Amino acid sequence: MADEKTGRFPDPHEYQVPEELEGWEEMYPSHFLFSDDRKDWEKSQFWYLDKIHAPEPMPPLDLIFQEAWQISLSQYTTRVFCIPPAQGIAQRMIGCYQYICAIAPPPDEIIGEKAALFEKRVFYVFEHYDELWDKWLTKFQALGNEMASVEVPKELPKFAPEDQVLPAPRGYYASYDLMSSFDKLADLMIKGWQYHFEMLNLTYLAYLMFGDVTRKLFPGISESAIGKMVAGAYVSMFKPEEELCRLAKLANGSSVVSAVLKKETSAQEKIAELETSDEGRNWLQEFEKSKDPWFYVSCGSGWFHHEGSWLTNLDIPFSYIRDYVIRLGNGETIDRDLDTIDKQRDEIVAKYRDLITTDDDRKAFDDAYKTIRTIYRYAEDHLFWVEHWLHTIWFSKIRELGKVLVDNGMLDEPDDIFMFNRYEVPEILTEVATGWALGVDIPVRGSYYKAKAKKRRNILEAAAKWNPTPALGVPPEEIAEPFTIMLWGVTTDRVKEWLEGMGEVKAEDVSEVKGFASSAGVAEGPARVLKLLKDIVDLQPGEVLVCPSTNPSWAPVFTKIKAAVTDIGGLTSHAAIVCREYGVPSVTGAGIATSVIKTGDIIRVDGDTGSVTIVKRAG
Amino acid sequence: MELILNFKNADKTSLPLVGGKNASLGEMIKAGIRVPPGFAVTTDSYQTFITDTGIGDAIFTLLADLDVDDVEALNNASVSIQKLMNNAAMPQHVLEAIQESYGELCLSCGTDTLPVAVRSSATAEDLPTASFAGQQDTYLWIEGADKVVESVKRCWASLYTPRAISYRVKNNFPHEKVLISIGVQKMVNSKAAGVMFTLNPTNGDPSKVVIEGSWGLGETVVSGSVTPDKFVVDKVIMEVSDKTISFKHIECVYNAEKGGVIDADVDPDRQKKCCLEDREVIELVQMAKHIEKHYGRPMDIEWAIDQDVPFPENVFIVQARPETVWSQKKKESVIGKKSGYQLLMEQAMKRIKIS
Repeated sequence: MADEKTGRFPDPHEYQVPEELEGWEEMYPSHFLFSDDRKDWEKSQFWYLDKIHAPEPMPPLDLIFQEAWQISLSQYTTRVFCIPPAQGIAQRMIGCYQYICAIAPPPDEIIGEKAALFEKRVFYVFEHYDELWDKWLTKFQALGNEMASVEVPKELPKFAPEDQVLPAPRGYYASYDLMSSFDKLADLMIKGWQYHFEMLNLTYLAYLMFGDVTRKLFPGISESAIGKMVAGAYVSMFKPEEELCRLAKLANGSSVVSAVLKKETSAQEKIAELETSDEGRNWLQEFEKSKDPWFYVSCGSGWFHHEGSWLTNLDIPFSYIRDYVIRLGNGETIDRDLDTIDKQRDEIVAKYRDLITTDDDRKAFDDAYKTIRTIYRYAEDHLFWVEHWLHTIWFSKIRELGKVLVDNGMLDEPDDIFMFNRYEVPEILTEVATGWALGVDIPVRGSYYKAKAKKRRNILEAAAKWNPTPALGVPPEEIAEPFTIMLWGVTTDRVKEWLEGMGEVKAEDVSEVKGFASSAGVAEGPARVLKLLKDIVDLQPGEVLVCPSTNPSWAPVFTKIKAAVTDIGGLTSHAAIVCREYGVPSVTGAGIATSVIKTGDIIRVDGDTGSVTIVKRAG
Repeated sequence: MELILNFKNADKTSLPLVGGKNASLGEMIKAGIRVPPGFAVTTDSYQTFITDTGIGDAIFTLLADLDVDDVEALNNASVSIQKLMNNAAMPQHVLEAIQESYGELCLSCGTDTLPVAVRSSATAEDLPTASFAGQQDTYLWIEGADKVVESVKRCWASLYTPRAISYRVKNNFPHEKVLISIGVQKMVNSKAAGVMFTLNPTNGDPSKVVIEGSWGLGETVVSGSVTPDKFVVDKVIMEVSDKTISFKHIECVYNAEKGGVIDADVDPDRQKKCCLEDREVIELVQMAKHIEKHYGRPMDIEWAIDQDVPFPENVFIVQARPETVWSQKKKESVIGKKSGYQLLMEQAMKRIKIS
């Protein structure tokens, strides 16, 4: 495919990054770099930009999640549940962007061995899904609670406290606590990510299977129709929003509380005001109940420290609650009737089923449907618990460590800790612990780390302005890896598009981009391009959201926007699901939308045909 | 003897009397589908005409030993028959019945000279599967009782074009057994019109309605003289999964000067414009689903959108017939007898080609 005629993607070993990024390599562990020792293998693979997990330049410590999923996702496919012809997904960094590669199938004898294991292990999971999910959630919550209880020393005491020495010495002190707290946190994060994929590969596989069956029965069936048949309403990912509705309705019962919540004041001011009345305090108690775990939801994907969560940006849930309280006051209904959503889904399934003409096909359809429905909720449930709940706990613990480093003169700001990767953080902590142990007036190299953090921030900033190539290396002839097909939507068409995009087309010359028609309807309005997920606060009502990808914690936003466009979106893209829920037109997987559309451009989103037209450029 | 049958009173049992097309219109009216009003001049009327005037015997004698491969003989026979029919006067009671029914139709539409479409619907006694599609004449935009009567007669005569004669001989349909009924139907002053299928004719997908439409009367779409706009709509979730807007250079419209329909050039600004509004597409799909359900089989439907009537009363079905291509295929399982686990195993072994 990638021959001289059709063009080819750059060779990963020769690809040049802008010079402003100089020094980017040292931000990441060396096994993440394309390297001469692996040159032949790396050149022969196909590497594409992972816009789902790494839509923006990667802060070094946030790479821990990537590092963890590379191992975990891959091992479930290759060593645990053994999807026969599939291998893992490898990662590399170039210029602060992550590229990934679905590795070619193993030799036939391995495929045979894996097939036998697959049958035995996978079918067992489907037969015992409900009990396995309960076990999963129990152990995962225990893990998160363990992480939350890791004690980061607030300060390094002048002398070890009395109770650590007498009547019997504890034997280890603040130096150890400091160093080991990060090790424990990192250890638990890696372990949490091992759990993350426990049933996910099988979920995706089942989804692909069901999609395939429905496409055989109804050759032109759309992804959105398949999504509608499979998606459930009662999933953890939608729970944060349900809690907001619950709190808004509670507030609506008290004129005192609703009056405070309707104000345009900050969350802190509202809380302070609510504290002054009984009704207010009662409501705050309910708010506290919702907070853990539901408001641990990230404001973004959960993949980046700077996204923040509802917990760290209370203004966000309070502003959503404000909208809801106002709407309730106007007599509107605010919550989605989940039973109705489930019922509508069942009706859709029944209608398609009615169109099937033979008994065998109906039976196969029923069986395939039962298989995917058994396991599908894992796709939405695990997401809340890992990417949102656990990551939020992690970020808050890491910030505690950051603060210790600031207090000890190593960093300017707590968040600077995220500028160091997970192999470097122990080194900084060790230096602080060493300094403390050595006595008083011991110099530490604060200026060295501060300068490094600053330089890395600059590199990341420069990288954010750069549009890296969508792919590197040689496109494969076939793909067997379920995530690659489903999550990243890598298809022949997509690869072709990427190849076409390789030419010297200027962003301002493009007037139309194409993607999946993922939620029906047509809408026109000013674009709001959010490359960085934290910028969501800039979004104004009536705008068209244009972003790399979205997730359900943005759900309340979807009542404000006219339409949504995403660069990336496989078969279960969150933007698509949420847009359909709210009847907002959307085009997902539009590839280059965030690079060719600028905030303020008037764009038309056609969710029926999958095209996004730039009607008028911003002045 | 029933010379005229209002569409409202027709149904599938009236097929021998009014032909397939008209019976189908009656069926749809019964099912609550919006069909332009009209009536059928029955096969009894036709038989009365050829019997009472005595031309029937003459016609069949002319055709008795005709060699249809002898082009000159075939043409001569056809010309002689046309002459016979032209010269024969329509029996008075048939004439009056047509005039009276047309008058009533005009009255019900609140006008004196209602434009109508006059369409032939041939039928063969005891041969319900015989198809004579497209062999007989259709006259559009006919105004006034005299013109209607004249058009009915011309439709009758179209049973004896060289092509129709030759077709019957080659397919062993005795001429005497083939009858003709004429549909007289209020003309839809269509903004846009076309056809639709209750499955996707390109791949047999039963979950889709495929609509093809263009500006003006539907004749340009049916005849293929224009590449129509195309809409593929999912029957269940009602999403338009594919929408192709074509370059539509001509449209079939009424021309007052000529007193009939012509193929006119489409204004440049409308050539590349979608001929249907979204809500019209959805209304058509709802109707298509209704019709398919009523007949219990995939259907091939002609529709028209009237420009003089507000939505949704402007959306009309002018014809519906069973879809033949996919419906005649043997119904075979596409998946086979497979359990969910077998399907999962198959999926697990799959490799997706991407080149």
